[in-house]
Amino acid sequence: MGRLVLRRLGATVPVLILVTAGVFALLHLTPGDPIDVMMAESVDATVKENLRRELGLDRPLYVQYAAWMGRLLRGDLGRSIRNGEPVIESVSRRLRPSLELALLAMTVSLVIAVPVGLLCAVRRNTPIDRAGATFAVFGICMPNFLLALLLIFFFGVTLRWLPVSGYTDPLAEGWNGLRSLVLPAVTLGLALAAVVTRTLRSSVLEALTEDYVRTARAKGLSEWRVIRAHVLKNALIPVVTVLGLQLGTLIGGAVITEYVFALPGVGRLVVDAVFARDYPLVQGVVLLIAVGFILSNLVVDVLYGWIDPRIRSR
Amino acid sequence: MASNASRREFLLMCAVASGAPLASLDPRPAGAADVPKKGGTLRVGFYIEAATMDPHLSGSKIDRQVYHNIYEPLVTLDVKLGIKPGLAESWQQPDAKTLIFKLRRGVKFHDGTDFNAEAARFNFNRMKTEPKSVRKGEVASIDSVDVVDAYTIKLNLKRPDAALLATLTDRAGMMVSPKVVQERGAELERNAKGAGTGPFEFVEWVKDDHLLIKRNESYWSKQGGPYLDRVRYRPIPDDTVKLQSLQTGEIDVMDYVQPRDVAAVKADRNVVVVDVPSLADFAYQLNHTRTPFNTKALRQAVAYALDLEQIVKGVWLNVGVPANGPIPPTSWAYDRSIAPIRRDLARSKAKLGEGGQPNGFSFTLTTNNIPINVQEAEVIQAQLREASISMKIKLVDSATLLSDGNTRNFEMISYQWSGRPDPDGNTYQFYRTTPGSSLNWSGISNPQIDALLDRTREVSNQAERKKLFSDLTKILQEELPMVFIVHPIEPKAFSPKVRGYEPIPDGMMRFRDVWLQ
Repeated sequence: MGRLVLRRLGATVPVLILVTAGVFALLHLTPGDPIDVMMAESVDATVKENLRRELGLDRPLYVQYAAWMGRLLRGDLGRSIRNGEPVIESVSRRLRPSLELALLAMTVSLVIAVPVGLLCAVRRNTPIDRAGATFAVFGICMPNFLLALLLIFFFGVTLRWLPVSGYTDPLAEGWNGLRSLVLPAVTLGLALAAVVTRTLRSSVLEALTEDYVRTARAKGLSEWRVIRAHVLKNALIPVVTVLGLQLGTLIGGAVITEYVFALPGVGRLVVDAVFARDYPLVQGVVLLIAVGFILSNLVVDVLYGWIDPRIRSR
Repeated sequence: MASNASRREFLLMCAVASGAPLASLDPRPAGAADVPKKGGTLRVGFYIEAATMDPHLSGSKIDRQVYHNIYEPLVTLDVKLGIKPGLAESWQQPDAKTLIFKLRRGVKFHDGTDFNAEAARFNFNRMKTEPKSVRKGEVASIDSVDVVDAYTIKLNLKRPDAALLATLTDRAGMMVSPKVVQERGAELERNAKGAGTGPFEFVEWVKDDHLLIKRNESYWSKQGGPYLDRVRYRPIPDDTVKLQSLQTGEIDVMDYVQPRDVAAVKADRNVVVVDVPSLADFAYQLNHTRTPFNTKALRQAVAYALDLEQIVKGVWLNVGVPANGPIPPTSWAYDRSIAPIRRDLARSKAKLGEGGQPNGFSFTLTTNNIPINVQEAEVIQAQLREASISMKIKLVDSATLLSDGNTRNFEMISYQWSGRPDPDGNTYQFYRTTPGSSLNWSGISNPQIDALLDRTREVSNQAERKKLFSDLTKILQEELPMVFIVHPIEPKAFSPKVRGYEPIPDGMMRFRDVWLQ
């Protein structure tokens, strides 16, 4: 297991270099630069040129990238061009709401998907199964922003049960914090639940045809016991894969949900930074999102080993 | 006619807005309940986040909303855009190149240090020399600042600048504590603790979540406010959600109501809408340095093909008025005798022939990828098609727009200027011949316009300046560095318990005298 983790960590280095270099190149190929944005009202071209020189934006791209890498190796992500704040501070402050939202969304999706997925598989080709399929199609097709607005209208404006927008930290104000995250978590969780439901249904169906299930039934175990002890664990591998891949997306890619609910998350930070052409900030956030993806995949691999000993021994 | 009616309504609204300050937004008769009282937190919803807390480095309009409560300029605007004392008690102009300010005594920055002539000089010098200063252009006419005595400063100008006083009503006139700059200069961008003299003090700013300011208990003015304990600004990027936050009472004020929402919000009894006429000038710059718009007749062909009334009615839903030029109806310099350019397809056709394109031509419009801009572009595209002019639409983000504009990499490009209280701020930098890049993206260079613009800065008599700006507007309608579209109204919405808001046409929300019922 230790070797697996080490090998996977070693493999992340080239991935990170590729990702950051790619983003760096794309960002600089995009028209517009941070000085134009900061000085939209200023008129003097020489003022802008001086500032560009001072910030090192006039140097060749590979020099700028090497300088950024050099600082990174010393543990320095640099400072935002727009407001001078250290990138690491901006990102770490945003990470908390994003993580909380991601975990809550995942919880929402599991609470829905595990029973629905199981039920659909066990009651295959019945109206229950078809209802589950309808739910899944609805969840996958429903655009995030529309679902968010509908939820806000219904639970925030009409019933007034939950706040319309904004973020309160659940770790600081438990109840109010949870209330502020419920609607965004449901928005994200519903789509994820749809995917997980379908994945779980098919993997349970597959497991149900295995020999060990027939053996278990032959032993006289109750159907519930068969599913809980034998089917579910074996059917979880694809589900863990899906969730692992989605965790990274939930942390860094919940931009629309963050915008609609005015949540101060990582997704919004990176999009605003792109619009402002705040290069160091974009680079820093992208790097951390990439690290997040890699780590969540690593966790998935470790979980595989735990769920399925055959993978561990390989 | 529809446009006249809507313009009349607009002017009427300006008159209402510039009349008695809306001590109460509520139509109920004044009573004991209308005596301002202290206390409460005002929760304000904004569409985006402020960019920086340093007024000398600020390049975005939203920042100013916060500044006008934390910082104070030397002079301020009244509802009629007149200039009244701010941190300067009085001023005089012994000659066209000298401006003397008598500063208010007994004013302290929030960090406890004194505001005086030395502090004022420090601020002007910072605006002129700080590398990241965005104020350089605005204070360019100031050659040097002399401290005459502890509370008197003298601005020595390089050239006459009749617009300077109005410029000093905003960020270029805002005074920042020299101690804060010296001790925490770089941090000032995100932490303005102790930095201003205004009715409210900066408390904290949690990016993308909230910005909090509190009442300045030792504010120099003992008349009126500040009444509110605190003001909490929140960025809510989605317009629908922002509006719903107001309707459900999660916020008390929203900075801007989208034209599409205005009618519905006005029908809601739980919300009070104030139409604040703006100084803004929304237009399209035409590139004079390359084909097709280096040909004057083709610029005119486009202008005569546009139906501004239809655009203002269909896209802006009459939350604005058709523009006759860069100067908005709120300004003393607005000349209502000059009509906006009228649609005339026959004339447009004739101009096509004159410009050597009798069968029409095609060009590309560069514009921001935001819904109202896209709608406007599509309407313009349809109107031009009827005049045999084919227009492609290129949608970009604002950084690309600025870059394309600055490098003149466009044929026609959207330009939305928030406007300045003196007409100079809506004209000079856009139409004066300037080498290198500037806001004169069109590249217009016309000796007659240059002479007029220079003259508007030299003359201090307002009637005479107004005449010059009228002449300028007529020439601009002929030369067309821009096609002018609309002067938008910026409706703001309030909870009925918010009182004492004065709608000054620069659109800034000053909360000094605002209180909660």
